[in-house]
Amino acid sequence: MATKSFLTPTQRYAAGALFGLALHQAQINRTQPLGLSTGEEPTDERPSCSSSDSVSEDPQLWVHKTSGLLRPVLKFLEIDSGAWSGLEETAGTSPAKHHVGAFLRLLSEEMGDTSSEMSDLELALSKAVDATALSMEEDSESSKFNKEKHREYEHQCREKFSTAEVQSDFESADVNLVPETDSNMIDSPDVHHGLISKMEEKPIEDETMLNYQRKVTVLYVLFSACLADARDDKTKCSRRRKGYDARHRVTLRLLATWLDIKWSKMEAIETMVAASAIALATAEESKGGEEQKSSQNKWAKWKRGGIIGAAAVTGGALMAITGGLAAPAIAAGLGALAPTLGTLMPVIGVSGFAAAATAAGTVGGSVAVAASFGAAGAGLTGSKMARRVGDVEEFEFKAMGENHHQGRLAVEIFISGFVFDEEDFVRPWEGQSDNLERYALQWESKNLIAVSTAIQDWLTSSLALQLMKQGAMMTVLSSLLTALAWPAALFAATNFIDSIWTIAVDRSDKAGKLLAEVLLSGLPGNRPVTLIGYSLGARVIFKCLQFLAETEHDAELVERVVLLGAPIPIKDEKWEAVRKMVAGRFVNAYSTNDWMLGIAFRANLLTQGLAGIQPINIPGVENVDITDVIEGHSSYLWATGEVLERLKLDTYYPVFKTTV
Amino acid sequence: MDSSSNQPEFDYLFKLLMIGDSGVGKSSLLLSFTSETFEDLSPTIGVDFKVKYVNVGGKKLKLAIWDTAGQERFRTLTSSYYRGAQGIIMVYDVTRRDTFTNLSQVWAKEIDLYSTNQDCIKMLVGNKLDKESNRAVTKKEGINFARDYGCLFIECSAKTRVNVQQCFEELVLKILDTPSLLAEGSKGMKTNIFKERPPQTDASTSSCC
Repeated sequence: MATKSFLTPTQRYAAGALFGLALHQAQINRTQPLGLSTGEEPTDERPSCSSSDSVSEDPQLWVHKTSGLLRPVLKFLEIDSGAWSGLEETAGTSPAKHHVGAFLRLLSEEMGDTSSEMSDLELALSKAVDATALSMEEDSESSKFNKEKHREYEHQCREKFSTAEVQSDFESADVNLVPETDSNMIDSPDVHHGLISKMEEKPIEDETMLNYQRKVTVLYVLFSACLADARDDKTKCSRRRKGYDARHRVTLRLLATWLDIKWSKMEAIETMVAASAIALATAEESKGGEEQKSSQNKWAKWKRGGIIGAAAVTGGALMAITGGLAAPAIAAGLGALAPTLGTLMPVIGVSGFAAAATAAGTVGGSVAVAASFGAAGAGLTGSKMARRVGDVEEFEFKAMGENHHQGRLAVEIFISGFVFDEEDFVRPWEGQSDNLERYALQWESKNLIAVSTAIQDWLTSSLALQLMKQGAMMTVLSSLLTALAWPAALFAATNFIDSIWTIAVDRSDKAGKLLAEVLLSGLPGNRPVTLIGYSLGARVIFKCLQFLAETEHDAELVERVVLLGAPIPIKDEKWEAVRKMVAGRFVNAYSTNDWMLGIAFRANLLTQGLAGIQPINIPGVENVDITDVIEGHSSYLWATGEVLERLKLDTYYPVFKTTV
Repeated sequence: MDSSSNQPEFDYLFKLLMIGDSGVGKSSLLLSFTSETFEDLSPTIGVDFKVKYVNVGGKKLKLAIWDTAGQERFRTLTSSYYRGAQGIIMVYDVTRRDTFTNLSQVWAKEIDLYSTNQDCIKMLVGNKLDKESNRAVTKKEGINFARDYGCLFIECSAKTRVNVQQCFEELVLKILDTPSLLAEGSKGMKTNIFKERPPQTDASTSSCC
């Protein structure tokens, strides 16, 4: 048994159950970010809630059999199919906290006969994961350099634009707005900690009983299961794509939180599995016409048989079955595809590598991994999308950072929306240093630069300066929001901005559609995507999600979304449908004194609310007030880095660290 | 969105739980009740779940029945399933005395410990009545235990389907007779996690528009 040798049947059952619980919890958290709505607390005292309806009757649920999210994982884990409905029902009908503890205990208790051998494997695997995580961290050391660069850029920007953004004492004016925006969705760290620890009490208490190696192994196996995609084609399934589903990633993120495993470890696991799987696939290809050894036979058989074959043919570690033949090939493959891993070999040693490869091995040969990398990892850059939608003249992805072609299993796309120069599409995002494959979208630079410059010019005009000196802008904004009279001076000014702004808004809508098409086409690979954008860039993202909502049923593609200073009305837009397209966190970051956005957006639209300056009262949207960082709309150029850092996107629960 | 439209209507939803030692025939009993068949089953892994719609006492009922694994290693799991059950079926094998004694020594204690429902109806079921010749627990003993513990009692056979329907029916009738349990199982208490909204704060946002 290959992967199976890592865990006993009972442990696999427990792992599958935990995955199911996390999957369902992740879906709940999408509309109730903290998993604790008013309705849930009394649930404890009102037991019938836990048996409300059975899962089998609600195909909307992620744990439902037609979602194609849970069953393939259970199948991969070789859990007896008779136990599936019990697991689905357990996951779907009762609050996760009732069961998580019990399943964790089951996971820690069970010990098979071969326990020493297994714990050796576990140890080797966890060491390999640690080493990979470490090397990935070292890799991002260069991010310090990026940060430097970013700081430089920030200075540059500030110098350029600060004249316009006279930041007088708005504190008093702020008072008017603050209470209004203080909805329950706004994150205050205190509240969160209270809630989270309350909810997580049980898991945390039990989690200490599980040793670290076991936890890593469980995550490794579950991740392999997500990727292996042992979906049964016969069963009807609403999930369309093969590959790494965004909802799975969110689930694993929650699971890692429950197990108290750092997300960087999970990323290391992702990279290891991906790299080994690719290496296996490459080794297979390159061997095509070569010598007909018996070992090749074994190899092919093992590969073809996939998961079940692995169990039948292999006795133990990968090294054993391939007789050492495959190992160099894999090492070479790893070296070529993932330099990070290539250097790893000496670190983790042969046993560690064998453990890693064995665990990953079962994924090898599955189409899913290939599918996950899209056009053979060619990715987004160089794709000529430009002329697909008539009006959009420019639409190009620019690779950022050094994580390309390294088997990263998640993509991040940054979209600027207020730019003065072509480099403004890339530079605001340079300070980021996560382990994702990062791209910046450059779109409609001509229009965007035009509108940005026009706004900036107006801001620096004497009229605006005068208004600002009088401290009038803050009152202007609050009056905009209450849809009262506009100062006459503003009318003249905005008429001038209006026409180019309208064009830019129109283009952003079209670019959004284009982006949706790109995602749907699988060009970035069927990998979970994180979308982050500010200003009109945020609008692109919103429109993209809206477009996805027309054809997609659920959040297969998009894992996380951050909208910064978004020019999107709150009313009259289908926020709920858009929210549904995102599997994980959905952040609306707004600045209550971004009056420029308010002006550009015009009063008639402001009666409908404006996402960039107000919280949105939609379940599952995380509203974050970043007024203290954003002095004016152009602040987004340089402050995004800080905001994103504060958002801590890699944590499962919404956290907003305010600098006190 | 409205997924409830295509579901069969029912007046009450009851959650039932089956417990007892490994191999006493819990799963067989459930299978016999829900699909009227009998076959050799492998030991249950973790928990199994089945739904059965029945008409009892002029009411349409939906029974959500949880069948737990009897094996020792899954014992830790079952504890969380007692929560919210309106009926608990304790099963023993009339041909194996230890499964009967374990009910009082192990399982009854588990119920007291984990059940969240003061009034929940318990039912003692002696299974494998078809193996009368090998009987190791007399009917009298069963009746006595049931009287002492304050629960219903029946002997049945999953294989011959003797008393299987009656077993569930009696339990459900008793639940229907208990007003507090009835209130819990009524449809009004159903919640849909996705239709619930977080605490409303419209005052905050609407005031500014």
